[in-house]
Amino acid sequence: MDFSFPREYQLFRRMVRDFCQNEVKPRAKAIDREHTVPHDIVKKAAKLGLLGVPFPQKYGGVGAGETGYCILAEELGRVCSSTATVIGAHIGIAAMAIYLDGTEEQKQKYLTPLAQGTAIGAFGLTEAQAGSDAAAIKTTAVRDGDHYVINGAKVFITNGDIADIMTVMAVTDPALGAYGGITAFIVETDTPGFSIGTLENKMGIRGSSTAETVFEDVRVPKENVLGQFGAGFLTFMKTLDIGRASLGAACLGGAQAAMEASMQWAQAREQFGVPVATKQSVYFMIADMAVEIEALRSLIYRTAWLIDTGQPHILEAAACKLFGSETAHRCIDRAMQIHGALGYSRDYEIERGWRDQRITEIYEGTNEIQRIVVAASLFRPYGVRIPT
Amino acid sequence: MDFSFLDDWGEEEAGPRLAEGGEGYRNIWVVAEAADGALHAATLEAMGQARELADQIGVYVYGVLLGEGVEALGQKLIACGADLVLAADEPALAAYQPETYTQALACLVEQYRPEILLLAATPLGSDLAPRLAQRLNTGLISHCVKLELDMSERLLLGTFPVMGDEMFHTAACPEARPQMATLKPGYFRLPYEDTYRSGDVQRVEVDLGQAMGQLAWVDLNAGVDLADVPLSKAKIVVSAGRGLQDAEGFALAEQLARALGGVVAGSRGAYDEGWVGEDKIVGVGGEEIAPDLYVACGISGDVYHTFGLRSAKFVVAINPDENAPIMKIANIAVVGDAKSVIPALLEALAV
Amino acid sequence: MKIIVPIKQILDPSGLSFRRDKERMFINREEYIIDPGSRAAVEAALRLKGDEDQVIALSVGKPQAEDALREALAMGCDAAYLLSDRAFAAADVSVTARILAAAVERLGGADLVVTGRESGDTGAGQIGPRLAEALGYTQVTDVYALAAGDRGIQATRRWGKGYAAVEAPLPAIVTVAPEAFTPRYPHGARIMSAYREWDVTVWNAPDLELAEAALTPLLAQRGESFPPPLEVGEVFRGDPDSIARDVIAALRQQKAIA
Repeated sequence: MDFSFPREYQLFRRMVRDFCQNEVKPRAKAIDREHTVPHDIVKKAAKLGLLGVPFPQKYGGVGAGETGYCILAEELGRVCSSTATVIGAHIGIAAMAIYLDGTEEQKQKYLTPLAQGTAIGAFGLTEAQAGSDAAAIKTTAVRDGDHYVINGAKVFITNGDIADIMTVMAVTDPALGAYGGITAFIVETDTPGFSIGTLENKMGIRGSSTAETVFEDVRVPKENVLGQFGAGFLTFMKTLDIGRASLGAACLGGAQAAMEASMQWAQAREQFGVPVATKQSVYFMIADMAVEIEALRSLIYRTAWLIDTGQPHILEAAACKLFGSETAHRCIDRAMQIHGALGYSRDYEIERGWRDQRITEIYEGTNEIQRIVVAASLFRPYGVRIPT
Repeated sequence: MDFSFLDDWGEEEAGPRLAEGGEGYRNIWVVAEAADGALHAATLEAMGQARELADQIGVYVYGVLLGEGVEALGQKLIACGADLVLAADEPALAAYQPETYTQALACLVEQYRPEILLLAATPLGSDLAPRLAQRLNTGLISHCVKLELDMSERLLLGTFPVMGDEMFHTAACPEARPQMATLKPGYFRLPYEDTYRSGDVQRVEVDLGQAMGQLAWVDLNAGVDLADVPLSKAKIVVSAGRGLQDAEGFALAEQLARALGGVVAGSRGAYDEGWVGEDKIVGVGGEEIAPDLYVACGISGDVYHTFGLRSAKFVVAINPDENAPIMKIANIAVVGDAKSVIPALLEALAV
Repeated sequence: MKIIVPIKQILDPSGLSFRRDKERMFINREEYIIDPGSRAAVEAALRLKGDEDQVIALSVGKPQAEDALREALAMGCDAAYLLSDRAFAAADVSVTARILAAAVERLGGADLVVTGRESGDTGAGQIGPRLAEALGYTQVTDVYALAAGDRGIQATRRWGKGYAAVEAPLPAIVTVAPEAFTPRYPHGARIMSAYREWDVTVWNAPDLELAEAALTPLLAQRGESFPPPLEVGEVFRGDPDSIARDVIAALRQQKAIA
């Protein structure tokens, strides 16, 4: 068994880490404070192929698979959750859906610009009344000649207001319900009828935009049906399943950063005549962080390997997201405690990390949904159906 | 009587252990460098060191001058320790050219056979020495900070910094001759100039053969547009604190930064006073810096500030309070008001 | 233009720590990287590269130096050669120069050879001029700006107390200041291709027709030492004008300032 990364991934990680440390990290504080999407960073990343890491080179990607993508997510997660979210939504769900279920023409036409970063992507599923209950979406797509006409509104869409291309789930047959009645579409956002509604004012990841996207008689050519007509549910389940692993990787990066900051501070801060790092209450916290991070790291990259080798991975990917987000939570929380009052100051990165982390237990399928996915996966061979 | 043993007497043995420098190599040479009609300070340092080494093994020191109109500089080389100066003074050598200088020195080395040949590790010396060493097929120990002799083997031992100046290696050139070394400027004492010292300055001819200078020196005072060094990469940082009191005081810190060739930064207090922008704060929440030299002016240095210095190599603190926290961790603690100390430092630097 | 860039792989200094008090170097994390000077040289060469030009990376090293060469390929080099042989193990800088010269000659020479001014570990700074002499090329060292024209190269090099602009015909060897050429990040796809599609050619001593005599080092290492631990808390009190001189002298003596 060889647990080391193949050498191209080692070089890839070094490049990504250098990029994140030199180009992204110095900007992280300002991105959060100014509540703006770092377009310049996204452009620089695109120039290095980083907006298409998992996709094959023939579609303008890097060809580094899920493993390479998790490396990117981890390194971005270490320095700036906002940037990680912008790029993560673009690669992990928007472009990924087209990669998984698109026709060759659709991949050439849409996946390639997304992978090259000349277009930005968003994934439109969630609606006001349909979060965890994704099947309850009400946006409709009605056939009219050679087009489908989409009406409805999606909420909490990452990159919603900056996307050029959006993969949108709409109801094509209300009578059939989730299985058979929902279809996925590729929508170009400059189509008339598409507009942006509310922009969310979030506690964290403030450098990513979370928007309401409104569809008023948006006409989409029939060639833009993504995947099988009526099988949209399967498309988005598949996409979200894979997206979870890289989310866990971003959490891994955040947890790692929290631990490293804690170690640095604990050595410098002296109380009672000694560095607080020598106090058991503190070093036990750091040890716990290290153990969880080791476990998470192994989980993430084994899951990435399962995905890259075409093996079943649904339980593992859900575990990545679940365990990753909760580990990140515990680690940043411990980090804040170790930093004391300094951790509470808005001038230092810990409180930003604390605010940025909380959403990881909520988005991309709440942790409750993840537990359902894990349980369903476990009980499936026994014929026991786990209801939502 | 069988006198045949005399046939072997006087045969030079090959190998490193020799009474002389090996195959008839003898004496220590310093290749001198001049600019604007004066000898480079680093040449004089090398000359002083050569004299010390020569006295240990009882040999002569030669100064070697290459150039045009350089013969007159020979006397100063004598005064600084040379016994003999060879001056290759001709128009073809007026400007430095790697090929012609290499050829000129190779010619002289072949003729006179020095056992040790030293140059200063200036831009010229560092350009020339390795090419010459390659021509002579000999070893070169570059930018030495210390030179010694291994007397048992009559070997030059050169000590030079490695691993980013974190440690030193010492090397020798056991067999090839001459043993070459370049000396890092500023690491050797300037010798006493004894104008009563006597020695010969000889003009020599060198055969430049086919060697031709290829370089066109277009501008000897060119400028280089180096991008501003970000604080995180700066090697020298001068930091201002509230102890500088006002904008005028801060300006002194800026001056000091310029004089040292570094970058100015500030404590959290300096940022609050409006003297530096957010990207120039040192301390928690500020830039991560790792300079070779950090000068804290009027900063008391609580842990929120000194956390930012943890990767600095050498710390100087200027503060009127001898017991301020930063004075305990600084390598050099200067007790005084930064507003008075900095102008005095600037003056001392200008000397 | 055919540009050859000799590069070196070194131990990553961020994985090392040095304890002056214990007089020891600790390898906390053994990883290898392209020497920063070499990387700057690759960058300088790639900036000159036009569509008709070729940039070839070479490295004398152990088999693992192949990673440094693949990184050079990922950055944009067209070809890479690893010069590796057990017989090279004892090489000093003069031997390395001879190996590189043999490789350049086997490649049919170059118009321009670009190296780092000195390496981050041993820092001898000799390869460039030694190689220039061995090949019979002219040389410009310690270069901060570099351009190529019809008649050769224009370079701004450190000279005297400042800088000088020089022009040199080809063929020439240039050594670059590491801080003057910020290296580009290699494109992700090129990183993958560097390992999955492209080759690094390996040449050994017989390939380069190097006899044992050419591989015998001229220098011998005679020891290792450490600077003394920096003292903390050297206090200077008194009238600013008098202590200022002492402070500057102390700083110079401890090599904190020039």
